[in-house]
Amino acid sequence: MSAERSDGRGALIRLDGIWAAYKKDSYILRDVCMAVKTGDSCAVVGPSGSGKSTLLKLMNGMMVPHRGTVTVDEKRPVRRDRMFRSERSSIGYIPQNLGLVRNSTVMDNVMMGALPRMAHMKSLLKRYPVEEVENAHRILERVGLEDKADRNVYNLSGGERRRVAIARAFMQKPKILLADEMVSELDTTTSRIIMNMVREEQQSTGLTAIIIHHNLELAVEFANTIVLIKDGQKLIELSNQNNKVVDFTVGDMSRQEILAMYDDAK
Amino acid sequence: MTPNSNIVIGVVVAIIVVASWNVGADPVEFVEGIPNLGIVADEIVTEIMDVDQRMLERGVWAMIETIQMAFIGTMVGYVLAFPMSLLASRNLTSRWLYVPVRALLAAVRTFPSILWALLFVIMVGGGPFAGILAITMYTLGFVAKLQYESIETVDADPMDAAGAIGLSKLQLIRFVIMPESASHLLSHLLYMFDYNVRQTSILGLVGAGGIGFYIITHIKFFQYGKAAFFMIVVLVTVLVVDWISVKLRDRYVVKSQRGILGNQNQI
Repeated sequence: MSAERSDGRGALIRLDGIWAAYKKDSYILRDVCMAVKTGDSCAVVGPSGSGKSTLLKLMNGMMVPHRGTVTVDEKRPVRRDRMFRSERSSIGYIPQNLGLVRNSTVMDNVMMGALPRMAHMKSLLKRYPVEEVENAHRILERVGLEDKADRNVYNLSGGERRRVAIARAFMQKPKILLADEMVSELDTTTSRIIMNMVREEQQSTGLTAIIIHHNLELAVEFANTIVLIKDGQKLIELSNQNNKVVDFTVGDMSRQEILAMYDDAK
Repeated sequence: MTPNSNIVIGVVVAIIVVASWNVGADPVEFVEGIPNLGIVADEIVTEIMDVDQRMLERGVWAMIETIQMAFIGTMVGYVLAFPMSLLASRNLTSRWLYVPVRALLAAVRTFPSILWALLFVIMVGGGPFAGILAITMYTLGFVAKLQYESIETVDADPMDAAGAIGLSKLQLIRFVIMPESASHLLSHLLYMFDYNVRQTSILGLVGAGGIGFYIITHIKFFQYGKAAFFMIVVLVTVLVVDWISVKLRDRYVVKSQRGILGNQNQI
């Protein structure tokens, strides 16, 4: 549909003709092309089961496509590849279920983001370098959890847990942030606060964010590219400037048609 | 009740009857034997009444030795079991590793502790050391199984997230597996110590140290009263250990598990 975007040479993340499946012959994604430039804020929207999460897993090598190629910073993300391991530690990943260690403290969870760059033996003894501890406290302060560093994650509320997951991702000093519905199930105010944290990080570090949204309003407010996926295929890709969808007409579809299609898709 | 279950019950009863006849288990003998118990009980009561201080000291020291043996065996076995259980966990290693490790652990478990004790008495001679080795082996086989089963129930989500961040396998074990299964691991330790105190009490039967030596010796010399005294010492100790381990479990294990389960819906 927007061919010139998808072909995107020099893009940080590029997906080319991706076919992906968990089981043979039942494809979750079919012939998806996508390109994300450095510093972009890309929102992925679409109904549940449309393949949004799979898209993120392809980008950090947790999954390998059946056909097509994925490139992240000119490299192929493959889980067991040692070359990609250092790369992966700079891809912040917030899965839908957050993947926190519930029986550990907030601090230990956040510190996990820094483990790959620490000295191995010291990390196993939990002897964290001083600068990393300071770093973690700074990040916790930013997400508003500085007084809960020693609390166990199972004692936290849903919103607080999301902040921990975000803090862990920021602790990775990420170049790329992949977040799967990081603000779903939260009220609008909390969602905005959390999305603003991501935006601040993007402005200060040039982070590239790919965030799956459940809520089109939030996607429009915070993203400069919106990708709509349905039944494993990319329907449209919109670009968004100044937090308003400017070229909301794609091809011969009007704004109303696109919104209607999104509603249908849901 | 379906006809099928009647058949099953009938078959089971038939097997019990035939098997009892085979091995010579006769209920009549049991009933006829009850008066014997009365005679022994009488003897036991009179003997226990005049337990002297020497006897009491001997009982207490033998029990302390037993508890020490159980403690060392449990701890060493437990520590050895942990790496084995990691190697045997399906969610951590490949089939090529966990299948042989599991087979090895199963082989270790086929021996009851008393057989291990016999083996080690032959190897290192009689005494507490053989008993400690026996308890260690038994604990190793048993705890490793309990542990790999609880490691396999650790939530896949934090493990996936850790993998996505790029943690090494050891970091994954340290920061995800250990905290997530900690309450199970502690509960296994308490359970095993509790169980091993009982087991160690009988290892003396084959000369592997502990209070069991006195029990078997007095029984051999038909001093049932003295044997009973040492058995009562075991009974009291087991009750106390049991009570302490329940308290510890309530304090540390149940609380943290409640934490895990209680908030699950909030994620």
